[in-house]
Amino acid sequence: MNVVQENVLVGRGVAVGSDPPVRADLEQVFRAAYPRVVAVAARVLGSRDEAEDVAQEVFLAFGRSTVPAGEATGWLSVAAAHTALNHLRSGRRRTAREENATGETVAPDIADAVVTRDERRRVREALARLPRRQAVALVLRHSGLSYAEVAAALDLSPGSVGTIVRRAESALRKELNRHAPSD
Amino acid sequence: MRHPTDGTLRRLLDEPDGVADADRDHIAHCPACQEGLNVARDDAAFAATVLHADAEVDAEADVDQAWTRFSTRAPAGRATVLSRWRSRLRSPVVAIAGAAVLVTGAGAAAAADWLQIFQAERVAPVTAPQAELAKIPELDEFGDLVITDEISVRRAQGVAAAQEASGLTLPAVAELPRGVGGEPSYFVVAKAGGTFTFRADTTARTAAKAGATAPPVPPGLDGSRFRLSAGPGLAAVWASDHEIPALVVARITAPSVYSAGVPFTTVRDYLTSLTFIPDDVAAQLRGFSGEGTLPLFSAVEEKQTSVTDVGGHPATLVQSGSMVGVVWVADGVVNAVAGSLTADEVLSVARELR
Repeated sequence: MNVVQENVLVGRGVAVGSDPPVRADLEQVFRAAYPRVVAVAARVLGSRDEAEDVAQEVFLAFGRSTVPAGEATGWLSVAAAHTALNHLRSGRRRTAREENATGETVAPDIADAVVTRDERRRVREALARLPRRQAVALVLRHSGLSYAEVAAALDLSPGSVGTIVRRAESALRKELNRHAPSD
Repeated sequence: MRHPTDGTLRRLLDEPDGVADADRDHIAHCPACQEGLNVARDDAAFAATVLHADAEVDAEADVDQAWTRFSTRAPAGRATVLSRWRSRLRSPVVAIAGAAVLVTGAGAAAAADWLQIFQAERVAPVTAPQAELAKIPELDEFGDLVITDEISVRRAQGVAAAQEASGLTLPAVAELPRGVGGEPSYFVVAKAGGTFTFRADTTARTAAKAGATAPPVPPGLDGSRFRLSAGPGLAAVWASDHEIPALVVARITAPSVYSAGVPFTTVRDYLTSLTFIPDDVAAQLRGFSGEGTLPLFSAVEEKQTSVTDVGGHPATLVQSGSMVGVVWVADGVVNAVAGSLTADEVLSVARELR
């Protein structure tokens, strides 16, 4: 059934369309929000390079949207989290990138590098297994968004942000303990 | 006083000022809450450690370089990024599902995605869009479509895990058809969704490309946003010796559309008034009640469809190459039974699910 799985895991959180109009405030929003968008995606992916790719996708979608400027940062942060999580689930691109990165890096201690990479992989797998809303809230909070900002971005009450983040942290720890290496 | 929630304990760690004085006082003097706070603190620190573990994650972004890359990106590069959704949307079934979701309020997206699975396995390749269906633009040609949760399927450890993850129950097959055997694999389909923003100028351009003029857009419709959602779902799949599954039994929460304000009928009526949508298709779309209708379009040249029933619910039988499937909706859930079987076999499995 790999064929079935492979073929349905093809989506990406991007807008589609031909020759779209570009919003006038795009550069301003881009410059203000880019570090935040990359930080959110990097938190999910554990890779700067791939996070920057995700940011490009997210701004592309934003440029063609009618999201009010005042809601841009929240919208972009959520879109970055979703798009990055989608990348995790598809997995293929990341694996290729990791292999490339390994080939380019001169690791002082190969064993350490392998262990680190394996741990990163386990964290990403655990994130991908969390319920999507929990994963997004967790990543946004750990990317520095305040409770009010997370609440606004996810259309939650500020009170429930703590509950969702708490659940996500507990679930993340359980996931990582459950799948901890046996040796 | 009741103990403050776990969420309040968690917020106390990050934003003490956001926690009410009464809660803070309670927590300060309550051994149980102190213990809960310690556990929350440990879990938060653990999460912070694993999520911040990579030094490169916190490196400063080079915004100038990123903007240069963004603003000078080659069109071909963008096409690569978009090609996967493009290719999905190019499928007439999926394209029409998109339009149907929009105009009916409950469309064929789920069924189309299941059909897409079969197409992906070369059971029913869509070789060429058929003349009339091909005239229907893709959803993104009426505005901006942003997919926030793509359709994704993952394997579940067993039926119990699949049911727990999807929140749906999977009915048992009373008797497997001849030639189908062994234990099925179970899959969970995650909730999928996106937002669609209707844009008058995009629609006008689409109309112009079709040599037509879009009528004036009703007040409030331009820029109105809709949230599309389908799933979650689950499936049991019996493998065969070929790539085609021998038998699939699937259930998925029916697609739905949430409007941010404009009544749904406004969009439906406007889109079906566009002259470049074939009359017979528009008439069918207008005929849908807007609630719980699952239109299954197919090109007559490629798939044979017929109307039947399963358990008293109207059902559509789709035959495509060596694959036969039956799809019906009951209680807000799309059900499908399909396989490399005869129509009689598929229908008897569907009708005897328990």
